[in-house]
Amino acid sequence: MIKLDRRNFLKGAGAGSATCALATMLPGSLAALENAPLQGVGKEVASICEMCSTRCPISARVVDGKNVFITGNKEAKSFGGKVCARGGAGHSLLYDPQRIVNPLKRVGERGEGKWAEISWDEAYEMMATNLNRIKREHGPEAVAFSSKKGSLSGHFFHLAKAFGSPNTFTHGSLCPGAYVIAAKSMFGTKLKRDLGNSKYIINFGHNIYEGINMSETRGMMKAQSERGAKLVVFEPRFSVVADKADEWHAVRPGTDVAVALALCHVLITDKLYDQSFVERYVVGFEEFAREVKAYTPEWAEGITDVKAKDIRRIAYELAAAAPHAVVDFGHRATFTTEEFDMRRAIFAANVLIGNIERKGGLYLGKKAKTYNKFAGETVAPKLAKPGVEGMPKPTAKRIDQMDKQYTMVWKNGGVYQSILAATLEAKPYQLRGWVMSRTNPMQTMTDRAKVLEALKKMEFVAVCDVYISETAAYADLILPESTYLERDEEIADKSGKNPAYYVRQRVVETIGNTKPSWQIFKEVGDALGLSKFYPWENMETLQLAQMKRDDKALRHIREKGYVSYGKPLMLREPSMVAKFIDTYANARKADDDGTYASALKFKTPSGKIELSSAAVEEFAPGRGVIRYRDAPLKRADELYFIQGKVAVHTNGATHNVPILANLMADNAVWIHPVTAGRLGISHGDAIRLTSSVGSETSYAMVTPGIRQDTVFAYMGFGSKNKELIRASGKGLHCGNLLPDSTAPVVGMNLHTTGVKVEKV
Amino acid sequence: MNKRYVMVHDENKCIGCQACNVACRSENGTPEGVTRLQVRVEGPFGQAPNLHFKYHRVSCQQCEDAPCVKVCPTGAAYVGEDGIVTIKEDKCVGCMYCVAACPYKVRFVNPETKATDKCNFCKDTRLARGELPACVTVCPTDALTFGDANEPDSEVAKLLNTKPSYQDKIHLGTKPRIYRIPTKRGGIES
Ligand code: SF4
Ligand code: SF4
Ligand code: SF4
Ligand code: SF4
Repeated sequence: MIKLDRRNFLKGAGAGSATCALATMLPGSLAALENAPLQGVGKEVASICEMCSTRCPISARVVDGKNVFITGNKEAKSFGGKVCARGGAGHSLLYDPQRIVNPLKRVGERGEGKWAEISWDEAYEMMATNLNRIKREHGPEAVAFSSKKGSLSGHFFHLAKAFGSPNTFTHGSLCPGAYVIAAKSMFGTKLKRDLGNSKYIINFGHNIYEGINMSETRGMMKAQSERGAKLVVFEPRFSVVADKADEWHAVRPGTDVAVALALCHVLITDKLYDQSFVERYVVGFEEFAREVKAYTPEWAEGITDVKAKDIRRIAYELAAAAPHAVVDFGHRATFTTEEFDMRRAIFAANVLIGNIERKGGLYLGKKAKTYNKFAGETVAPKLAKPGVEGMPKPTAKRIDQMDKQYTMVWKNGGVYQSILAATLEAKPYQLRGWVMSRTNPMQTMTDRAKVLEALKKMEFVAVCDVYISETAAYADLILPESTYLERDEEIADKSGKNPAYYVRQRVVETIGNTKPSWQIFKEVGDALGLSKFYPWENMETLQLAQMKRDDKALRHIREKGYVSYGKPLMLREPSMVAKFIDTYANARKADDDGTYASALKFKTPSGKIELSSAAVEEFAPGRGVIRYRDAPLKRADELYFIQGKVAVHTNGATHNVPILANLMADNAVWIHPVTAGRLGISHGDAIRLTSSVGSETSYAMVTPGIRQDTVFAYMGFGSKNKELIRASGKGLHCGNLLPDSTAPVVGMNLHTTGVKVEKV
Repeated sequence: MNKRYVMVHDENKCIGCQACNVACRSENGTPEGVTRLQVRVEGPFGQAPNLHFKYHRVSCQQCEDAPCVKVCPTGAAYVGEDGIVTIKEDKCVGCMYCVAACPYKVRFVNPETKATDKCNFCKDTRLARGELPACVTVCPTDALTFGDANEPDSEVAKLLNTKPSYQDKIHLGTKPRIYRIPTKRGGIES
C-alpha cells in the first residue's frame, strides 16, 4: 500500500493557491483538515465512474504516490477501456480542498452561508428530531425525498419507505424520463440502441459526441467510421454531432415531432414499412395510420423549416437501410409540452422499419433470467434481492398522483417539480421537509426563484452531497458523502444483448469524516428508530447476499470489476441466434426462419407493441393515438432559448471540480451573425437574456452555427452561491430563465422558452 | 536511433472532448495554468448549412529537426535514443530560447520545476512502463494512434500507408512527427 501525502495530492489535483486560501475559511472543507494521510487500497482497482449518470466501468490506480490515474476498464468491450474528460478528472473532485468532509449545520439564515461543523451523532439527532416531529404533526408524507438516480438511490428510498413517505423523486422528470415512459407505453419496457451495427442513423439533437455516453458514443463512431453508416442530424444548432453528420438540418426548435411524424407518413403512405413485422407484433396500427395521413412532408416543411423533399428522401433512405437502421430516441431536453408524442413518434418510425431485435436497431435488455431461459442452462448467475419484511405501506397518496395522466411517471422517479406546488400552494397537500441525496434542483429544475422560495418555506432541509452544492447552500444540515472513489457498492446489472454485472469499489481510503451515503441513511434509519428495516451490516454482506453466498463468483466480479456472460443475442437476428444455439446444447429451438422471433413478447397489456394505446387513452383521454399538437414556445418578438450538454461537464454536478472548471468555466451564448447584427451585438459583448421568469447575463459568441431565431447555451453554469467558488457567477444559469412548466403524461420539466436579448 | 515514434490524430474521429487533455494532466501531474496538450475546436467554418469545425491538436510535434534543440545553450533540450525530444530538468536554466524557437508554441515553463516542459510522448511515465501514452489510452473515439513508424506492421505505419495525412507547418523543415488525418466534410471517412 502506498502512503500518500495530502499536500502532494493537492498540488497534483491542480488546486490554485488563491482558491485554497478561500476554501480554508470554509468549515468542514477538506482544506480545513490538516495532515490527513491518504492511502490507495490496491495497485489497480476496477470500479465504476460517477462523474455523470452513465456510470462507465473504470480502472483506477495511484501513480507514484502523487496522483490517481483513471481510465476505462478494458473488460467492458463496448466501452473500449476508455474514459471521457469528466471521468478522467475524478481525482480532482476527490482532492478538491472545497470538498465537504465534516457534517455541517446552518448557523445563520438559510442560504446565508454560515456553517458550523458538528459530529455525526449530532447530525443524526437533528435528522431524527426534525423528521419525527414533522411525521408526528403532519404525517410522514409531509417529507419529500429526492435523489439522483443511481446505485445508492435505492438505499435512500429504502429510508423514505421505512419512514412512511410515498413522496420519492429522482431527476427523471428533469432529464431522461420522457423516452423511458414513451417506451414503456409502447413496448412495456425500456429499449436499447445498437448504434454500432447501424447503417443509417437519424438523430434528433441527441448529441452523444458532447453529452458522452461511452458505449453509445463509441458505437456511433464505429458505425460511421467502420461501417460507413450515414448519419442525419436534425438540430437547431451546429453541434459536434451535426458536424460529424452527413446531413445537418437546422430544424425549428421544438418541431422535431413533425419531422418524425412526416417520416412515418411517407413510410406508411408509400408502403415502405415492414408490413409483416407490423402484422405480427403491433396493435393500434390502423388508428396511427389514419392519424398520420395528414402529416405530409409538405405539412411538416411549414412547421419545421426542413424541406419536404428532404424528409421524403430521408424516409426512403431509412427504409432502404432497414432493418439495420435506427431513429435515435434521444436523451435529455424536453423541447415542448408535447414531449410524450415526440418520443413516441420516433419510436413509431423504428417500429415501422421493423428494426426491433435486429442488428443496428433497437433491442430489449437480456438479463440473466431471460438469457438463461433461452440457453437452457445457467450462463449467468441471477442476482438475489435481500428482502426486508414488514416494510410499511404509505397511507397517503403521492403528491404527483392526484392527476391520473401521470400514472406511468411515478415508477420512473415521479414528477420531481411537483414538490414546488405542494410546498408553496399546499397542492395537493403541504410538504414541510425535504431530504436530498446528490441532487441539485437549484441548478437542474426550472424557475430558480420558485425553487428557492420552496426551499425557504420548508421547515427542515437536509442535503447529502460532496460539495455545498447550489442546493445544499440552502440546507439546514449537510451530510458529507464519500466520493465514489472512496466507497464500495452493491453489484449492478449492466446487461445489454447478454447479461453483465459490474461493481463499484473503493480506490483510496476515505478522506476526512465522510461516509458512503448507504451508511449515512442506514444510520439515519437507526436514529429514527427504524433499525428493524436494516438487516444488513455492511456492503459486503449485501454483495454476498446478492450472489447467494457464492464467494467465488463474487470474488471474480470484484477482481474483474465487470463481467460479461455468454454471447450477444438479438432475437430476430439469424446469425446471432445460430451462434447462440451452437454454444448452448440445451438452447431453445429456433423457429423455421432460424430466429427466436416467436419468443419476442412485450410487457404491454396486449403483449404486442402498442402503437396506439388503450391504456394511455384510459388515464390520459385523447392521448392514446400519437398526434401532432401545436406547442408554442415563444412570442413573436422573442428568440428561442435552447440548451445542451458539453463534453467536459455534467448537468448540475461538475462545474466546481478543479480540472473541469479550469477547462471550461462559463457558457457563452451562441447567436447568429444576422441576429447579432440586428441587435448591435458583437462577438464577446456582454449580453442580457430576459424571459418570463428571469434575467441572466453572459457574453455573445457570434456564429453561423445556430438558427437566426434561436440562442443556445451549455447548461449547468452560473451558480449563484459563493460556496461553489470556481463556478459562482460564471456564465448564465439556465434554470433562472426557464419557466416552471410540466409536459402532460410524461411529467417532464420544459427546457425551451422565449427570451429577449440585449447588449449590456 | 532505430525507433521512429509518431502519433496520428484522426481529425475525422476526434470530437474535441478533452479526455486526452485531462488524462495527460493526470498522468504527468501538469500544474494548473499550463498544459502539454489541448484539442482546440475551431470554427465553424463555411456557409450554413455546409459548416464544419476543425479539431486541432496542440502539443509538441516531436520535430525530427527540432528548432528547440538547436537553440538550447545547455543541452537541456535534446533528442533521446528513442528519437523523442526531451528536456533534462536539471540542466535547464530557464533562458526560454526554446520557447521562442518553437514554431508550434507548445513549450512552457513549468511553475513547479521552473524548467521548460512539454509533451514527451509520456516517455518517463507510461512509455517507461511499457504502456501507451495517456492521451491515446483514454480517447473515447480512438482518434489517436501511437507507435513506431519504422515497424511496418505497426498500427501507425498501416494508418499512414492507407489514409491521407498531413503535418503542421512542414514548410519550416521541422519534420513533425504528429500526423493528422484531415476531416472529410460531412460524415466520417470510412
Ligand atoms: S480524447 Fe480523442 S476525441 Fe477527445 S479531444 Fe482528444 S483526440 Fe479528440
Ligand atoms: S514542436 Fe516545438 S517543442 Fe516540440 S520538438 Fe518541435 S520545436 Fe521542439
Ligand atoms: S529554457 Fe531550458 S531547455 Fe529551453 S533553451 Fe533554455 S536551457 Fe534549453
Ligand atoms: S503523449 Fe503523454 S505527454 Fe504527450 S500529450 Fe499525450 S498524454 Fe500528454
